[in-house]
Amino acid sequence: MKKRGALEFSFAWIFAIIAGAFILFLAIYGITKFTGTQQAAQTAETSKQIGVLLDPLETSFETGKSAVITTGAKTIIYNKCSNVGSFGTQSIQTAQEINGKFSDTSTSVGFKNKYIFSEKEVRGKKFYLFSKPFEFPFKIADLIIITSADKTYCFENAPRDIENEIGQLNQSNFKTLNCASKDIRICFDSSENCDINVNTHTKSVEKNNQISYYEGDALMYSAIFSDNEIYNCQIQRLMKRTYELSAIYAEKERTLSQTAQCGLELNSYLNTYENLAKNLENSEDLYVMANIGGTLSTLNDNKNRCALW
Amino acid sequence: MVNIIRLNKRAQMKIQQMSFMIIAVLIFFVLVGMVIFVVRINGLKKTATGIQQEDALYLASKVANSPEFTCGNAFGTQKSACVDMDKIMALKENINDYGNFWGISNIEIIRTYPTDYNNITCSSSNYPNCGIIQLYDKPISGSDVSNYVSLCRKVYSEGTVKDKCDVGKILVSYEKK
Repeated sequence: MKKRGALEFSFAWIFAIIAGAFILFLAIYGITKFTGTQQAAQTAETSKQIGVLLDPLETSFETGKSAVITTGAKTIIYNKCSNVGSFGTQSIQTAQEINGKFSDTSTSVGFKNKYIFSEKEVRGKKFYLFSKPFEFPFKIADLIIITSADKTYCFENAPRDIENEIGQLNQSNFKTLNCASKDIRICFDSSENCDINVNTHTKSVEKNNQISYYEGDALMYSAIFSDNEIYNCQIQRLMKRTYELSAIYAEKERTLSQTAQCGLELNSYLNTYENLAKNLENSEDLYVMANIGGTLSTLNDNKNRCALW
Repeated sequence: MVNIIRLNKRAQMKIQQMSFMIIAVLIFFVLVGMVIFVVRINGLKKTATGIQQEDALYLASKVANSPEFTCGNAFGTQKSACVDMDKIMALKENINDYGNFWGISNIEIIRTYPTDYNNITCSSSNYPNCGIIQLYDKPISGSDVSNYVSLCRKVYSEGTVKDKCDVGKILVSYEKK
């Protein structure tokens, strides 16, 4: 009898333990998944909010705008660029520090109408952003440059206008005097112990032994603060938009020739410009476009009341 | 023998009781989990809609200043919130390439003053004698935000090219998530 009683008791216990373990496993698994989902949602939310915060940086006729983003926890912003499709895609992913460890990267948030120039990974709690309109020769887009407050950039021997602009941005991580040894040194037309060299004659920026070419101040800043890979990808995206805008201006000129009796002086140049923009492979080819861009600009100015932009 | 059967029955009853209890506990946990999940999903939906609305609010004012819409220097000095109608008509011709470029469902530009041709939708054949430009050839759906803008174009009058600016608004519609 005793033995049978013991069997009955032990079976009930075994059953309870197995079922209890199963419930506990389900509960722990559920909580882990739920916490993971919440983290993913939070980081995705941060990525999207960063994207929305970039909207006020779009300029109308200002020469530039600046802003600051401060996050609750230490954050890594991953800047991703793809040149696939009509305009390519700008994606942002973030990872936030939770209990001393960075979470998995968030779901990628993509934008087709934004151009962010930065390192592939920007780390910190405070981020400085500034935007510059890119005109080539008509306005193509606003370029947004992101830097972390944790890194200080020191501009040496910069031309007066650049120095003034840097001062006006009021970013505490940019300075033009008293460079410290830990600062990232950006030198203009000189190359003594500099991290980044800007050659204003060849319109090139040398960084990490790689050379990027630029046209105009907006692209110069972009080349200084971004990785070569990001810079080249964004240049290709910008040229895709240049291609579309050239087509729009060519169409506008044709419309104006009918509705306002304007001439078609720019049409053939715009077609050439379209083709060049479509076939641009890297920043080295920018100067060819800049030459035709100069002609387009002059012709447009000469059109007076029939100006296209 | 009777005792053994009685004991077996009692044990079976206990196992049955415990099974029901365990199933009840399991159902309870699943229900609690589902409630938390639904609350969280609702929260996420609200956040997504909030972000999207914020995005759209900025977008309405921003779109007017984007290179595809803005007057630039074409009408003398640079103007804020000025939409170049001639450029918009050219953009409409190339709109297929712009697919989901602005991340919204449609953009409509409506002339509010003067009121001639107000209800006529623009096409390449009736422009500029029309009052509504619908950028994407699909109905306006979802929520929308709007901003007042100047609508400028070039006209040929009395032997010269003149700038003509009307009052209008730009309406951006987006799908609520």
